[in-house]
Amino acid sequence: MTARTRRIRRSLIGMLLLTTGIVVVLTTAAFSVYEVVTTRELASRDLATLAKLIAANSTAALAFDNPGDARRVLATVRTERHVSAAALYSRDGTLFATYPATVGKSLPARAPAVGERFAPSQLVVVQGVFQGNLRLGTLYLKSDLGVIYERIRLYALIAGIILALAGASAYLIASRLQREISDPILALAETATAVSQKGDYSVRAPPAPGHELGLLTGAFNHMLTRIEEAQSRLHIQLARLDLLHRITRAIGDRLDLSSIFQVVVGTLEADLPIDFGCICTHEPGAQFIRLQSIGARSLALAGALGLSQGEPIPIDPNGLSRCIGGELVYEPDTSSLPFPFPKRFAGAGIHSLVIAPMIVEQSVFSILVAGRCASEAFSSADCEFLDHLCGHVALAARQAQLHGALRQAYDDLRRSQQAVMQQERLRALGQMASGIAHDINNAISPVALYTESLLEREPNLSDRARGYLGTIQRAIEDVADTVARMREFYRPREPQLVLARVALNRTVEHVVDLTRARWSDVPQQRGIVIQLHKELSPDLPQIMGAEGEIRDALTNLIFNAVDAMPQGGTLTVRTRASFIPDGSCGAVGAGEAERRVTVEVADSGIGMDEETRRRCLEPFYTTKGERGTGLGLAMVYGMVQRHSAELEIDSKPGCGATVRLSFPVTSEAPQVSAPSMRAQPERRLSILLVDDDPLLIKSLRDILEGDGHRVTAADGGQHGIDEFTAAQKREMPFEVVITDLGMPYVDGRRVAAAVRAASPTTPIILLTGWGRRLLAENDIPPHVDRVLGKPPKLMELRAALADLTGSRAA
Amino acid sequence: MSSILRRIALLAVLCGALGLAPCSPAKAAPEYRVKAAFLFNFSQFVSWPPQAFASATAPVVIAVLGRNPFGSDLIAIVRGERVGEHPLIVRQYSDVSEVDRCHILFIDRSETARLPQILEALRGRNILTVSDIDGSAQTGVMIDLVNRDHHIRMEINNGAARASGLTISSDLLRLARIVGPKA
Repeated sequence: MTARTRRIRRSLIGMLLLTTGIVVVLTTAAFSVYEVVTTRELASRDLATLAKLIAANSTAALAFDNPGDARRVLATVRTERHVSAAALYSRDGTLFATYPATVGKSLPARAPAVGERFAPSQLVVVQGVFQGNLRLGTLYLKSDLGVIYERIRLYALIAGIILALAGASAYLIASRLQREISDPILALAETATAVSQKGDYSVRAPPAPGHELGLLTGAFNHMLTRIEEAQSRLHIQLARLDLLHRITRAIGDRLDLSSIFQVVVGTLEADLPIDFGCICTHEPGAQFIRLQSIGARSLALAGALGLSQGEPIPIDPNGLSRCIGGELVYEPDTSSLPFPFPKRFAGAGIHSLVIAPMIVEQSVFSILVAGRCASEAFSSADCEFLDHLCGHVALAARQAQLHGALRQAYDDLRRSQQAVMQQERLRALGQMASGIAHDINNAISPVALYTESLLEREPNLSDRARGYLGTIQRAIEDVADTVARMREFYRPREPQLVLARVALNRTVEHVVDLTRARWSDVPQQRGIVIQLHKELSPDLPQIMGAEGEIRDALTNLIFNAVDAMPQGGTLTVRTRASFIPDGSCGAVGAGEAERRVTVEVADSGIGMDEETRRRCLEPFYTTKGERGTGLGLAMVYGMVQRHSAELEIDSKPGCGATVRLSFPVTSEAPQVSAPSMRAQPERRLSILLVDDDPLLIKSLRDILEGDGHRVTAADGGQHGIDEFTAAQKREMPFEVVITDLGMPYVDGRRVAAAVRAASPTTPIILLTGWGRRLLAENDIPPHVDRVLGKPPKLMELRAALADLTGSRAA
Repeated sequence: MSSILRRIALLAVLCGALGLAPCSPAKAAPEYRVKAAFLFNFSQFVSWPPQAFASATAPVVIAVLGRNPFGSDLIAIVRGERVGEHPLIVRQYSDVSEVDRCHILFIDRSETARLPQILEALRGRNILTVSDIDGSAQTGVMIDLVNRDHHIRMEINNGAARASGLTISSDLLRLARIVGPKA
């Protein structure tokens, strides 16, 4: 028993005893006071009555002086035990008679004043004796109050006894009360202490007797039960929250779906826990789901369930279809359901099942299947938890998806940007190259013209001189070719493919020359040797194609080959004609074979793995990091498709790579007929020559005049127009106008326009350093009848003049 | 002891009274001073019928018939006293025929011979007759003052009193010896 319980008990008993004691004492005191007061009052009233009686009876004795009679009257007080003395005094105040007779000396000698006097333990009444109004004498009565005090003592004794009895009964009652009231209260208090100190809500107060206490204890226990339930619910909720938190964090770090699903299923198995967990994916509109992830512990059960990764599971009309509709489905007892999906689980010993949908943008993309062996094993809180979890997983999946898309978009954007920059660089380079080519063409034009002219018109030249001139001519042609190739290094995309006859061997030679710096010079600077082998088939048929595109494609292939050989190696370029037997293509008739021309670029470099080989044709796919645009092979592939050609790649990691382009050969492709060497116009012509370059004017005038034509030169566009107009006015019009294209202020186009306006039938030949490009781009200015590139070849010029004037003359 | 002393004192008073009586008529003998007090006291212990008084404040008349043995004592005793609303006066009659309105009439021993006539004359009137003639109560006087053992005692003929319409207090009757024919 603790101090607290002792205290309560003691105070209970103490209170009861105190109450009882106070009641008894107060009652006794009240009674005593009342008794004293009333007794004294009564005594005084009694004595006064007695005095009146005696006085009334003693009048005659006093009036007629009869002491004997007076004594007899006084003697009547004998019956009143408390009256101890009585006396009559006569009218003059002397003692007349006394009772008892012997008491005389203790009485006042003279009659005392009338009144009532209390002395300790006695009461004295002195009263006058009257007959009518006549005072006859005085009566003295003395009463002993001892009787009263005796009675009060008796009361005190009774009070004491009652006090003792009351105390005893109070103690007994207190003990009983203690059993009935304080014990349950103490038990309640101890329970409350246990609860508050230990936080243990499982303790219960013992049931108490009595209605109110029983009610109180019952209510307290009920409250404890509620708190305990609430606490356990709270614990469960906290555990769930923690679990949700862990799963959410774990899947937040992951950006691929299968890893997210694996984490979810694994954690659920371990911590919810569940006996079976898997996640199945669902394609929108599909009538089946596919098992995507299954928990490690559920794998054994999966065998029993007949489930395997990726296997389609048809959607039941019941639970699964509701889940696909976006609803969480709880099957508390799978064995009671007739549908195949729950039956499968019932057969494997999983009797309760929760199927929760994961929804992204109003469509269920996956479902979570959680199962437990016991039936009705999932509470509503479990279901709610799984529902919330699926919401989180769906969000994470959506995030992963968005992240992937964002990354993809970002990569695409970066590649596009790089491609655009590359293109821009190429364009700038090309423009610069074009400008240089134009100037060089202009500069070498007189050399070419004079050389050709000398060789043709001077039969007296020594053999040595002729040899020198031939060398100069070849050198000039080389320069012109080089410049032409350089100029075509850059070229904007053609709106449409202009196919022409292409001799692939020549193209290959060009490309090899052009890329020499890349496969020879640059590696040599780093001490790397790349050997280039050309294996060109000599009798290669021509194909129809865009030479520029083919050249670009081959350039790309050679660049790739060089990049694949960082330690050096052998680069081989092959051409050959081949026949593909019938059957593989099926495009041509039976018994025939399709002729094809094949170009191969092979290296002895690092090679490609399967993945790279598969993807290398995708735009923006690159293995070169920042240096690559991922567009090279894509461009090659584009060219191949435009030419109805085929592309093959043979490669293994470490064994080099061979890229094979195979072009069809059009059967009607004729051999290029050489132009007639000495085509001459039938007659002399009057020619207006417009150019801003005096050297070119001089050389062309010399050549043309040497052919017998009459040449008028104008050193600018406006001058040329003026000359032409003047000749028209003189009625001596020019028969042919040869004008340069690029001139300051008034260029060749305006000259051509003015000439055509003045004389619509006059042929106009445009000379230009850009000539081939104009041709290639189909960008021949209006009003121009023929475009000739610089340096002009004498034969071409003559042919053009003969063509234009001859046709007109005819 | 006190009673002995009182008796001695009373005796001395009586002796003094007897010795002084002849020489001072105004002073009565001590015995008669007591009797005068008795006469006054009777007015307190006897009640008269209402018709005995002319009015509510009419005096109670105490009269002496014959020789006045009281001297001036009786007058001195009743001076200033009252019975209820009634004052007290003293009168002296020498003959019974003089007696008119009177309430207490003391019949002196000098009238012993004429006592029957006097009583006859007073019959039916509301007058308390008192006398100290020996045996007077037997003859019809209502109160006879008897000297016994030096104490004045009374013999009361209550029948005579009732016959005259008077009521004597029982206290007084308790002290007296009741005599006379049973009325």
